[in-house]
Amino acid sequence: MRTDKVLLIIPAYNEEENIISTCNKIRSYNENFGTNYDFVVINDGSKDSTSALCHENNVKIIDLVENLGIGGAVQTGYKYALENGYDVAIQFDGDGQHDVSYVKKLLEPIKNDEADFVIGSRFVKDSESAFKSSFMRRVGINIISFAVKIVSGKKIFDTTSGFRAASRKIIELFAKSYPTEYPEPITNAEILCLGYKVKEVGVSMEERVGGVSSIRAWKSVYYMINVILSILICSSKRKRK
Amino acid sequence: MNYIAQIIIAFAALLLIVVLLLRKGKLPVKYSLVWIFSAFLMIIAVCIPSVLDFLTKLLGFELASNFILSLFLGIVIFISIFLTVIVSRQSTKIKMLIQEISLLKEKVDRINDKNE
Repeated sequence: MRTDKVLLIIPAYNEEENIISTCNKIRSYNENFGTNYDFVVINDGSKDSTSALCHENNVKIIDLVENLGIGGAVQTGYKYALENGYDVAIQFDGDGQHDVSYVKKLLEPIKNDEADFVIGSRFVKDSESAFKSSFMRRVGINIISFAVKIVSGKKIFDTTSGFRAASRKIIELFAKSYPTEYPEPITNAEILCLGYKVKEVGVSMEERVGGVSSIRAWKSVYYMINVILSILICSSKRKRK
Repeated sequence: MNYIAQIIIAFAALLLIVVLLLRKGKLPVKYSLVWIFSAFLMIIAVCIPSVLDFLTKLLGFELASNFILSLFLGIVIFISIFLTVIVSRQSTKIKMLIQEISLLKEKVDRINDKNE
């Protein structure tokens, strides 16, 4: 599949501390390695100066007129990618968690027709990531991973990873429908159930520099119930087809 | 006053409220139908005691009042599920609108910048 036009979707909510340095890293990577990764910041109704900073620095930005939550923001990016004819759209965190030098590795399986969807993973063999998340979170990830395995028969190790590359087919799918809450594990299961090829490649992730994780401690029980129920429902959808 | 008169008054009041809301245009006809229908059902049920008694015995209730209470609870649960579906459908539409407006705004800004 083609991987000529690549878009990095950077959802941002109150990320004034990190957003510009993230964008500058992508720019200097493009200059140094001759790549041509476009990126667009999706400002999810930030109350700080995220939007102003992006406009000052000539960063392509879509200001959502109302806060939509992470799912709605990322989906806007997929719609933008679809409208503007991108071959591949990659979710990329605005808080410095993800490293742009791994984008090439994420693109490789799509280029070679090995996968429709590539997940940047901390838990596969070739990952050099020192940051592997906290113990409790890893337990949660393992449980979700097990649920995905039950419904789809395939194992995804880092099922909550927000560093993911979507080929054109998946962009079309996501532009149409994308979960509002906790989209990563749910869409991973959906894509597998629909029979698309998914591949995990090892990446390294930093501990988030600023901002707060979208998964807060007191919400974790609700998170687990919501995600597992969504995954089980997606398997019943497949049977209907 | 026996319970039948009380129930009739209660549902007549419900009907009155629904009709008033309809006249003021605060409630669309579409959503008022379910309330009007359930209020009529209740009034008819209590007005024809023989039917009510028959149904009460048939469904194994000791008292007609218990049956009416359960029936009303059932209707309320049905309506609230119906409302949840409407709310989620609307929030999906609102989400889509916000996304489309934001994308359009970005496009307009880009075109304006080019023309300046």
